This record gives sequence, C-alpha cells and structure tokens, in this order.
Amino acid sequence: MKRLATRSKIKGSRIILHLCLLVTSVIMVMPFIWLVFTSFKEKADIISVTPTLLPRVWTLSNYIKLPEVAPFLRFFFNSFFISLISTLFIIIGCPMAGYIFAKYKFRGQTFLFLLIMATILVPLQTYMIPLYLIMKSFGWINTYQGMIFPLIIMSSGIFFLRQNILTIPDELIDASRMDGCSEFGIFWKIIFPLSFAATAAIAIVNWVFTWSQVFIWYLVMANSEKLFTMELGLMYFQRHYITDYGGIMAACVITVLPILIFFLIFRRRIIEGVSLTGMKY
Amino acid sequence: MAKKKQSYLRGWLGRQGSIKRSQMLFILTIFVPLISLFIIIRIIPIAATLGTSFTNMHLIRPVTKFVGMKNFVRLLEDKQFISAFFNSIEYVVVAVPLEIGLGLLFALMLSRKIKFESLYETLYFIPYILPMVPAAIVWKWFYSPGSFGLANYLLESVGLGRVPWMSNPRIALLATIGIHVWKNLGYFMIIFLVALKNVPAEMREASKVDGATIWQTIRHIELPLIKPIILYGIVMATVWSWSAFTEVYIMTQGTDISTGAEIQVLIYRVFQEAFVYHSMGKGCAISFVVFLVSLVIILVQFKIFRWGER
Repeated sequence: MKRLATRSKIKGSRIILHLCLLVTSVIMVMPFIWLVFTSFKEKADIISVTPTLLPRVWTLSNYIKLPEVAPFLRFFFNSFFISLISTLFIIIGCPMAGYIFAKYKFRGQTFLFLLIMATILVPLQTYMIPLYLIMKSFGWINTYQGMIFPLIIMSSGIFFLRQNILTIPDELIDASRMDGCSEFGIFWKIIFPLSFAATAAIAIVNWVFTWSQVFIWYLVMANSEKLFTMELGLMYFQRHYITDYGGIMAACVITVLPILIFFLIFRRRIIEGVSLTGMKY
Repeated sequence: MAKKKQSYLRGWLGRQGSIKRSQMLFILTIFVPLISLFIIIRIIPIAATLGTSFTNMHLIRPVTKFVGMKNFVRLLEDKQFISAFFNSIEYVVVAVPLEIGLGLLFALMLSRKIKFESLYETLYFIPYILPMVPAAIVWKWFYSPGSFGLANYLLESVGLGRVPWMSNPRIALLATIGIHVWKNLGYFMIIFLVALKNVPAEMREASKVDGATIWQTIRHIELPLIKPIILYGIVMATVWSWSAFTEVYIMTQGTDISTGAEIQVLIYRVFQEAFVYHSMGKGCAISFVVFLVSLVIILVQFKIFRWGER
C-alpha cells in the first residue's frame, strides 16, 4: 500500500518535471517557430494587431521575391566556402599539433602549451584591431584569405586533440618506429586514424563556429556584397527593407536553415564536441 | 618516473634519449610553421593591442607617434566610454548569474533519467548553435513598440501593461542582455549536464538510502562534485558577456530609438572607434581595458572558489 503511494508520488513529480521542461524548452525555440510561421504570412497578417501563430493565409511571396533583392545563394556559398577552408586547416593542424604536444618532449613545450590554453580565454574581438592591421599589411582586406586567416588555428581544438592522443599507447608508436616508419608516416597511419573521432568532433564544432559565431570579424573584413556571409547579407538586407517584415523574416529563415539542418544531422557530435571545447577560440 | 627524468636530461628532443633526426625534421617542417601561424594570429595581435594603445595611430594620419598614457587618460573623460563600461558591467552582473543558475536548473532537471531527454536537450541547445544576427532581428521585432510587438501583445493579453522595450535605455539594455542569456543558456546547460551524468550513480543511491531528500542530495553531493565545471562555466559566461557585441550591434541598427548610444557596450565602442572613426590607438586602449578587467574578474573568481574550498 505504502509502496503504491510513493510510486504515484514519484509519478506525480515526474509529470511536474516534464511540464517544467516542456514549457521552458518550448519558450527557448518559440522565437524560431514564430519566425518560420511569420515568413509564410501575408503583409496585412504580419502587422495585424491580433497576431496569430499560424498564418491566416499561407503564402510563398516573401520567399519568391528574395532572390531579386539580395543574392542569398552567393551569401550561402561564401559562408560555406569560409567554413570549408577553415575546417580543412583544422582537420590537419589540430591533430598534428596535438600529436607533438602529447608524444614529444622538448624545451619550452609546457610554456607553449599553456600559452595556447590561455588564448582560449581571449575572444577574437579584443585583439581584432592589430589583426586587422596585419591583414591590411598583407593587402588582404576585403578578401577571402583575410576573412579565413584568423580561423585556421583553433586553440581549444589543439588542447582537445592532445588529450585524446595522450591515450594512444606509446608502444604502438615505438613499434612502428622500429619498423622504419617515418614520423610523418606514424602521424598519417597511426595517430590520424586513431584520433579521427576527436578530429571529426572538432571539425564539426569548427564548422558551426565559423558559420555562426565570428560575425564581428566578417563585419570588419568584408565590405563588398560579393564577400558577404549569410549573416552579413541578412543584416544589409534588413537595413534596406526595414518595413518589409515578411521579407526580413523569410531572409532570417534562409539564414538559419543551413546550420539548423547541419545541427540536426550531427546533433550528438556537436553537443559532445561543444561541451568539450566551448566552441570559442 | 625515473625514466621520464632521464629522457629530459638526455637532451632537447626525443623521448628515448638520442635525438632522432627524423623527429627533429618533423618538428621543423610541421610544428614550427604551425606555431608561427599561432603566433601571428594570436600572440602578436594580443601583444600589439597593448603596444598600439600607447600610440595615436589613426588610419588616416600617416605618422604614428608614441603618446604614453594619453589614450587611457582620455578614456576617463570620455562619456561614451564610461557609459559603455558600466553597461558591460551590468551585462556581466545580470547575465552570468542567470546563465549559470538557469543552466544548472535545467541540467539538474534533465539529469533525473527522464524520458525524451535528448529532445529537451536539443530544444535548449538550438539557440546556441544558430547565428546571432537572425536571432537578434527576431527578438528586436518582438520588442517593437506599441501593441505591434509580440512581447507587448502577450503582456497585454495576460492583463499586464505595455513595456517601453526600446525607448527606455535601461529596459532596452536588459532586453538586450535577455537575448544574450537566451542564446547562451543551452551551452551552460549542456556542460553541467555532462558533468552531472559523470557523478557516480552509487553516490546518489547511497544518499537516498541514508534518507537524504532530493535537495540535500543536490546540495551536498552533486553540486560539490561538479564544482570545477561550475567555475569553468562562470569564467566562460563572464568572458562572453563581457565581450558581447553582435546582439547590441543589431539592436542599435536602423531603429529610430534614441537608445542606440545608450545601450552600447565596450566591444561596440572598440568597433566604433577603430572601424568607424579609424582611431586605432583609442580602440586598442579600450580593448586593453576589456582584456585587463576580464583578467582581474577571472582571477577574483578563482580566488573565491579556492577560498570556498577551505
């Protein structure tokens, strides 16, 4: 009898817990849900004084006119290209640096490693002025290479890969050294494949990071429409079409969509990777 | 242990003693370029921020002179900087407790072996992953004045009055901080959740057997065990809210509100000074203040946590 009572009590508290979680999690995504439905509304519907979540009349007109006013396909390509190049560098660079920090010993190693760790805590916006001046001296203002250059090294990625490579047994490396494998061969045939899961997590995190978290750098570097990323394009679009809420909302959906799909595909890995690296440089 | 020491003594390189030429070659061809890149991209700019802050560098002026502390002295008289400084302080004071507190709360709820856990997790996490610009645009639209904005419409429909979201600078700043908290909450929830899941189940069971209530278990078992992660979370939350930019930038863009100048934060000032007025020296001076103060805050946080451990 008593057991039954506690069981129902537990059940009751479970229901309350679920209710709390449901309400708060819906609040968290509500802006996006509202955004998506609004983008299918007609103009009169959007500025109605009694707004409804679902459109009264569904329309695609907000989307159809988008390509005429702003080249969002181009913006998509720019975002894609920047993330791709940056991530390729990360995929090669982080395991290599991680390998050397994990399995080599040389003077100044600890100092260098601590230096790299420390920069994780310094966000890019605090040192973007000298970075900008360096890019300027290279003549890289308003170019792809200028936008990508600061994003090809990832301090938290190096740290993460070092921790991962430390778990690879030394015997494996020594044995292949005995067999006459070159250092690069060891990296390529042993270290890289064995740490690939970690590298993939880093790569995915870096993709999301470069896509959606370094807005200020792109804002500083790109000043022609040809180089705009999706976020920059969206900002200029909303500046010029300030009253066209339907258009702005449709543009927001277009901007959010690629990374949302990416997130839903790689959900587990992103959550894992982000919780381990912090997704900031 | 002894072996390790020996290998240190034997020379610069090589774990097994003698310097392997191939290892040296690998370091020279791979590591040196990598580290040089790191130094160009991170170390030099961070150091140069301090250096430039002592000069009157201006993109239009051809000659750059050393001016000592002049930039910093001028900042003390700069009303825009002062207001930005206190706005940033407010950002940290409001955002960090909210992010850590709510993040912990959601993580504790999710760690109770609950159904649909990964669904909730995903929903909480989505705002963090998505770009800030569209998110801030949507929020700004919610905050629009009158009954036109959704925020006011909802407030009115539950019988509360309208709030001047955008026209009152104090409220506009809090509204902007709200966007920041909403955006980053999911991150803190996730790192706390991962930490809570690593708490051994036996410890929870044991305290249950001893008759501890759920709050006692959380307070005396789980929270002390994830303390290092909480400290990490506080440090990250501080750094991010202290250097917030995008949401403030979007909120001040293209609206007719008079609050544009009044909700600015430090990085926004850096952006304005350096990339709108091209005054690099002054921009670097502000950057350096940002850097220095965040360092002090982090050190204080570490001290408080150490002190709490005794």
